Amino acid sequence: MSRKKLREGLGLTALNLLFILICFVTLIPILYALSVSLNASNRLLSSDFSFIPKSFTLDNYLAVFTGEDILTWLKNSIFLAGATVALSLLVAIPAAYCFSRRRFPGRRLILRWLVLLNSFPAILSMFAVYRLLRPLGLINHRLGLLIIYTGTMAVFSLWNMKGYFDTIPVDIEEAAQIDGAGPVQVVTKIVLPLARPSIIVTALMVLIYVWNEYIYATTFMTGEENYTLAAGLYALQATEMSGSWPVFAAAAITVSVPVLIIFFLCQKYMTSGLTAGGVKG
Amino acid sequence: MKENVKKKKGRDWLFSYLWSAPSLLLIGLIVVFPILYTAYISLTNMSVYHWFDYSIIGLSNYARALFVFDSGFLGALLATILWTAVNMVIQLVLAFVLASLLNIQKLRLRKLYKTLLMFPWAMPGYVSILLWKTGMFNTQFGLLNQWMEKLGHQAVRWLSSDVSAFICCTVVNIWLALPFMLMIMDGAMQSIDKSYYESATLDGATWLERTRYITVPSIRPIIAPAVIITVFTTFKQFDVIYLLTQQMGAKTGSGLHTILTYAYENAFITNNYGYSSAISIIIFVLLILFSIRYQSPEEGSA
Repeated sequence: MSRKKLREGLGLTALNLLFILICFVTLIPILYALSVSLNASNRLLSSDFSFIPKSFTLDNYLAVFTGEDILTWLKNSIFLAGATVALSLLVAIPAAYCFSRRRFPGRRLILRWLVLLNSFPAILSMFAVYRLLRPLGLINHRLGLLIIYTGTMAVFSLWNMKGYFDTIPVDIEEAAQIDGAGPVQVVTKIVLPLARPSIIVTALMVLIYVWNEYIYATTFMTGEENYTLAAGLYALQATEMSGSWPVFAAAAITVSVPVLIIFFLCQKYMTSGLTAGGVKG
Repeated sequence: MKENVKKKKGRDWLFSYLWSAPSLLLIGLIVVFPILYTAYISLTNMSVYHWFDYSIIGLSNYARALFVFDSGFLGALLATILWTAVNMVIQLVLAFVLASLLNIQKLRLRKLYKTLLMFPWAMPGYVSILLWKTGMFNTQFGLLNQWMEKLGHQAVRWLSSDVSAFICCTVVNIWLALPFMLMIMDGAMQSIDKSYYESATLDGATWLERTRYITVPSIRPIIAPAVIITVFTTFKQFDVIYLLTQQMGAKTGSGLHTILTYAYENAFITNNYGYSSAISIIIFVLLILFSIRYQSPEEGSA
């Protein structure tokens, strides 16, 4: 009996060691960047490199916040992400509600086709979108990016929230209507609070998409002062900072932290908000 | 009375369209219009030389892509299919093994490991790719070459040849995509009734038999939608290959192309818009055929 226990304990220890190793290997690129960004003596070519810097410094982070236009880019990113999330929810919630609750000619056809059309890769639309926005004067204008981002995420937002609305029983709404609530009241007071997980996940996906998008942001905006964080960071590594890898590492960590925080705060909504709507359709 | 109901119904659907209009308008501008416009351009010879005076040339762009072997498209298509297959197989196997290990009953630190393994998913994708490019693969200060040097080997230019670039891109892509697959598999495994395993063990089934007859059939319907979505995103993967090997002014010398980077290059580097549009439309048709084939039956009844 005790021998069996011993064997089990050994197996469990081996398993734990294996997982520690796997986690470490997985995190190497991130840990390495973190360590380089904090290392004061940047003799990177020396062979005595270790993951724990021998002397700490915040100089690289200081360089990120003072030397470059990063605060401007941060402001642009926050503005653009906030505006896109707000506009996305504003247009998608009523549409998702109508497509979930009402029956009208063309409904099924539109739903089906939206999914198919949405499989066209956004990157291949860039040329056409450029030709569309240029005559409207929206190239090099934040409004242009706002329209592009909202439009790109619109099908996802619509489908994801429609799927979740479908799971909310209609009886609740009918009961409220009998009690004298108008259609707008039913939606704002009853449906939206119940649909919170899917609204949060939709907002989150839009936010992360905007925060991470670099191709449209660099192609449609010129002038570094108009860049978002993603565009700025991309431009930095493409040009000057390739020589200064510690500062780039610091910038990369800085940009990632907000996304990491949001991701792990909202992780519990991820499964329920995504699977209920998106996957089951 | 009947007339009234009809009238109300008519107003009702106008009402629905009215409320959906802003969303549908945006989709029309950013999703539908580009497809139609690309289809139109694909029939012309628009390029840098024919920017305004382009003319309709019929289907010859399509003919060039599909029947001229050294045009590069068919090679890119083959590479993309290989890329999708390799990535999916490795991803599914790794995710399955890791999820099985995570679900061993007595593993107490399960939650911690799961959280740590979620990091590649939580990081902004382009940041991770650039960190891999500079931090790991860079010839001078990349970690891989530091290790090579320590072991007494010469520095290797990891991204410069087709095969090694393919392997490097695959490693990065799997690193990025594994957490999602792992989470889906883990969730699916947790939903299996534990009593199945208990009675199977009592009947003397080995681990392999339990996996084959209980685990795999139980999780298959649950993970299927996520797997199909992942096949799409892998097929359409652009960032990994573009950022690692072919950024403007920083090409690494590998000729690796997937159909998406190939279309991108023809549009924005060599400015051959007509030809690139034809490729875009071919890609779109392939994607549509694939999604019709694998559309879940539930969706039809939505």
